[in-house]
Amino acid sequence: MIQPFTPEPIRFVAEDGTPVQPLPERFTPDVLRELHGLMLQAREFDRKLITLLRQGRTTFYAQSSGMEATQVGLARSIRVGHDWVWPYYRDHTLGLAMGVPMDELISQCLGTNSDTCRGRQMPHHFAARRQNFVSISSSIASQVPPAAGNAMAQKYLGVDEITVCTFGDGATSEGDWHAGMNMAGAAQAPALFVCENNQWAISTSIREQTASETIHIKARAYGMPGYYVDGNDIIAVMEVCAHAAGQVRAGHGPALVECLTYRVGSHSNADADAEKHYRTREEVDAWLARDPITRLEKLLEHLGHPVSAEERAALIARTHREVDEQVLRAEATGQPDWRIMFEDVYADLPDHLRQQEAFLRAEQSAGQGGRA
Amino acid sequence: MTATQDRPEMTPMTSGRTINLIQAVTEAIAEEMERDSRVVLFGEDVGARGGVFMATAGLQERFGKHRVFDTPLSEASIVGAAVGMAVRGLRPIAEIQFADYMGPGFDQIISQAAKIRYRSGGQFTAPMVIRTPSGGGVKGGHHHSQSPESYYTHTPGLKVVMPSTPYDAKGLLKAALRGEDPVIYFEPKRLYRAAKGQVPDHDYTVKLGEAAIRREGSDLSLIGYGGVMPDLEKAADALGAEGVSVEVIDLRSLVPWDRDRVLTSVQKTGRAVLVSEAPRISNFMGEVAYVIQEQAFDFLTAPVGQVAGFDTPYPYVQDKVYLPGANRIVAACVQALNY
Repeated sequence: MIQPFTPEPIRFVAEDGTPVQPLPERFTPDVLRELHGLMLQAREFDRKLITLLRQGRTTFYAQSSGMEATQVGLARSIRVGHDWVWPYYRDHTLGLAMGVPMDELISQCLGTNSDTCRGRQMPHHFAARRQNFVSISSSIASQVPPAAGNAMAQKYLGVDEITVCTFGDGATSEGDWHAGMNMAGAAQAPALFVCENNQWAISTSIREQTASETIHIKARAYGMPGYYVDGNDIIAVMEVCAHAAGQVRAGHGPALVECLTYRVGSHSNADADAEKHYRTREEVDAWLARDPITRLEKLLEHLGHPVSAEERAALIARTHREVDEQVLRAEATGQPDWRIMFEDVYADLPDHLRQQEAFLRAEQSAGQGGRA
Repeated sequence: MTATQDRPEMTPMTSGRTINLIQAVTEAIAEEMERDSRVVLFGEDVGARGGVFMATAGLQERFGKHRVFDTPLSEASIVGAAVGMAVRGLRPIAEIQFADYMGPGFDQIISQAAKIRYRSGGQFTAPMVIRTPSGGGVKGGHHHSQSPESYYTHTPGLKVVMPSTPYDAKGLLKAALRGEDPVIYFEPKRLYRAAKGQVPDHDYTVKLGEAAIRREGSDLSLIGYGGVMPDLEKAADALGAEGVSVEVIDLRSLVPWDRDRVLTSVQKTGRAVLVSEAPRISNFMGEVAYVIQEQAFDFLTAPVGQVAGFDTPYPYVQDKVYLPGANRIVAACVQALNY
């Protein structure tokens, strides 16, 4: 039985891969292997995108290595395409696991013509209508009040959808976070808030972020249950998120889940030498020992269904090949032209934008760039 | 096109009623809620109390608590929730009790409401209306009297509206609610009960982006919007008594705004005086002045005049001194006429 407000994170599997409590029946070896495959794919996606960054083919990337269990586990706990998700900027693994096509993610990171967001946002800020994966904003925690509103609309419409809203630990310091949590609580809206507590907001540690011992206990202030889960244990994440989502869907109001995890890499390419400046190698190593993918491999070994080195290598090779192919395909579509600047500002083009568009059209056809 | 077709606000009404501006707001909301079940209304105290100005009086009783409800005292929540509701398919009307209190909701307005269509490539949109009383003249001090419209006219993705008559208040609000974009709808609070006028009995809308010519004239174009409009009329009367023919234009809508009507007028009169009560630096009227000098420079016989609020926080005691009254407007017009 999953309980809120536990003093320690809920876990099912220890770091050495041994179960610490009976595994629910649904986690058959096949299911576990599939989850392992998804996490490994996401990890390799990270690796390849970092390579693209180094090659100068994209300009920004925020890796989620180390956080795969949290994001894949969450994706597997909701009804994809039925529920709505207001994500934050480190959620591409969540997107991948929800079935957002890899080519859409890559196209967005490259800002090509195949980008469904039309090259308007910095890399790694995608949106996917089919999955109800709402557009990512860089403005921290600004998705939280809209997520509350999305859930309020679901309640108003009488649908059995829920709204999922994710954020990092840093977001919980923003006014918007408290406003959105309070609103959802007051409205008893079907919202599932998931804190991907990876312990660092760029270079500010969770200890400097809040005097609160944990994030999940803040749920008390908003009249909702707060669950504390080992975010590197995918079984625990799925059990807790599925339980919380079920409660939310059943009309018991919103819930907060804190997934305790770790960002193994830097925040982004902007602080690639994190260990030099704000955290220790020892800390990173200690968390690497709790790695979610390794832990699941150890569990599979323990259960007598090990992932062979060949299987692992084949999966990695397949992901690399797929990313390479998608990158070439995306790049072949070219960059969106200047016209995209004016579209989608409003539903229709108002006169002042029509005039500015005409100005730019004339400038472009005369071959004069604005930057000359 | 005839003059009356072109200017629906001047169309003689065969059947209509005289109401004040706040009643027009209430009627617009009620009729749109009746018409479209996706329309919901919320904010601080809008429910049982009917809003601090009573703009939403009786609506909760009529439409139920699920459609008209009070929220926590949090502008970020109110605006943000409206964004989420709109994205999920409702037509929210969010009331912010005073425009001065939009600060905590600012991030939600500029980061979410204004940009979600653009940044998602049109995959997600937020058609919604934020209604808020603004402007001075009610002895409210600086947190109940400001005119912050220029913050919002500066943000692409938002439409910004401010009516000054019951006809426009009703028609613009209905149009805003039927549109596909987020609209900031400023209500000049000192005109809530002071502005009275006819509205037709039938359903109508006023298109956003069209200015209204309140009176025609040939010597000078006097251009304003919102709470200052009665002062423009008074100034035009005073100048008229001296034999000066003033054309009075009410912008009604700031984004988009009616360049054509303004330029046509200035090309006819050769003089323009722009009036608003917002502080002068980065005042929206600065943009209007720029466009006039850019597009109608050869027609001008005098520099474009501007009457604005002072660049101070809004003063409580000197409320009436701060606001551009008819005298100050007349003085600016005389200066332009004597140039």
